[in-house]
Amino acid sequence: MTDLLTGTAASVHPRSAPARIWNVLRLHLVDRRTYIGIPWLIVGIAFVITVFIAQIIGFTAGGLGTPDAIEGQRYSWAVLSPQWYLIVVGVQAISFGFPLALGFGVTRRDFYLGTALLFVLISAANALAFAVLTQLEQVTEGWFIDTYMFNALWLGIDGFWVDLFSFFVMQLLVFFIGASIATIYMRWRMPGMLVFWSSLALAIVGTVTIITFTSSWPPVAVWFGAQGIAGIFAWLLVPAALAGFGGFLALRRATPKN
Amino acid sequence: MTDTAVRVTGLTKKFGAFTAIDDVSFTVERNKIYGLLGRNGAGKTTLMQLLTGQQFATSGTLEVFGASPVENARVLQSLCFIKESQKYPDSFRPEHVFANAPWFFAHWDAAFAARLVDDFRLPLNRPIKKLSRGQLSAVGVIIGLASRAPLTFFDEPYLGLDAVARQIFYDRLLEDYAEHPRTIILSTHLIDEVSNLLEHVLVIDEGRILMDQDAEQLRGTASTVVGKKTDVDAFVAGRDIISRDGIGGLASVTVAGLGETERTAARAAGLELSPVSLQQLIVQRTTSTTSESMTTTDAWSARS
Repeated sequence: MTDLLTGTAASVHPRSAPARIWNVLRLHLVDRRTYIGIPWLIVGIAFVITVFIAQIIGFTAGGLGTPDAIEGQRYSWAVLSPQWYLIVVGVQAISFGFPLALGFGVTRRDFYLGTALLFVLISAANALAFAVLTQLEQVTEGWFIDTYMFNALWLGIDGFWVDLFSFFVMQLLVFFIGASIATIYMRWRMPGMLVFWSSLALAIVGTVTIITFTSSWPPVAVWFGAQGIAGIFAWLLVPAALAGFGGFLALRRATPKN
Repeated sequence: MTDTAVRVTGLTKKFGAFTAIDDVSFTVERNKIYGLLGRNGAGKTTLMQLLTGQQFATSGTLEVFGASPVENARVLQSLCFIKESQKYPDSFRPEHVFANAPWFFAHWDAAFAARLVDDFRLPLNRPIKKLSRGQLSAVGVIIGLASRAPLTFFDEPYLGLDAVARQIFYDRLLEDYAEHPRTIILSTHLIDEVSNLLEHVLVIDEGRILMDQDAEQLRGTASTVVGKKTDVDAFVAGRDIISRDGIGGLASVTVAGLGETERTAARAAGLELSPVSLQQLIVQRTTSTTSESMTTTDAWSARS
């Protein structure tokens, strides 16, 4: 029983930890549509819709390209359109990926690290792509048709590096929130969901109550204003990291459903 | 060194108040085909999940290839366990599953997998959630066979498979097992379907191991004596009668352990001896009361 390695036929080629983790990433990416194809298809459709809406705004406002029209397009959420889909992808990465990975003889640790690596790499790629597209949109003055989709919300205000950083954090947060909700379910099933959602609701309501009762809204607004875009997204790294590490701890003792 | 693939001692798994696996001990030898047999809900899947580190034991010890399988990459790399209710990512097609397999199974044989896909007529690019029950079973069977994992589990592989596909599974398993010996644990409630494959039988019921025996020995532990009622009664008098059946003046009695001299004696007395099927034997041994009818035998295969 001490001579373990010679006993196991498969141990002739034991895979190293980095190789195993990389294989989990490949498992998620074997169907490229999920992480790459469909999100970019959604971006494409959103862009077409944005072009139409921009024309409508231009028609009613009496011309596009005016500072007012450009500012009006800032309120569009089209740039975040794939995020609703990607939060579901984050959920499914755990709810479907985990049971399959276990069937393939992957440890929970390797599965989680491979999945987290995938999230980081996809987030970095998306952040780079969206930050570049934001710049291109500025350079081409709205793709030569005064249509601004990427210079929206907080993007395109503080420059390329802030766009890159903020989009990366936002994308990580989306993936890890989806994944950690699925992980809570995988570990504690329905009771876990009930506890999680009710404590989340209580925390939000409690925070709002405390701020309101202490008349602290003005200082809160001042604080947010002082952080700036980069500062706020730096703070958002905290929940992303909490979801990421918490998910790891929870999944280490999770069991797939029958 | 050791010839043991699995060693389980005092293993218990509780889900709240429910005891799914109750103080179970057994060993699995390397390079043999084991049948893990039992009724629905007997604990087969839970036991396999424990052996593959998917569930955590409540108490007891569990060694697979000499170590606990839980979060043990070295052990888990040698296992393949595609559950009967295996989940796949929503968008997956069989081609995606098979494209993945070589990254996780060191001995994966893609050519063999391709041949099995043809054999089972599995549509490679139909979404998995649109596959029929039999096609879904085929996906699991193909992974199990082509992975050539040193310890391979087949969980209800026959579920939904047609007669031709079942025969293909049976043939391919034996062919490939002969060329690439490995330890196979086949879980099913359809005993007759697999009885010829099995070298060792583990029968589980209500979380306990009821029977842990070599299949050949088990078959030899009983025979059915058929003949005129008076002759049969005279022959079986004083023997360990497992079951008894009769029509008119004829009787058919299953008795335990007949030696060669007794067999000759029976034939001399004008009685016919017939072997007992594994399924009948297990049903008779696991049903506590000896009933006069043998129709209980069908209870095992009623759900197919």
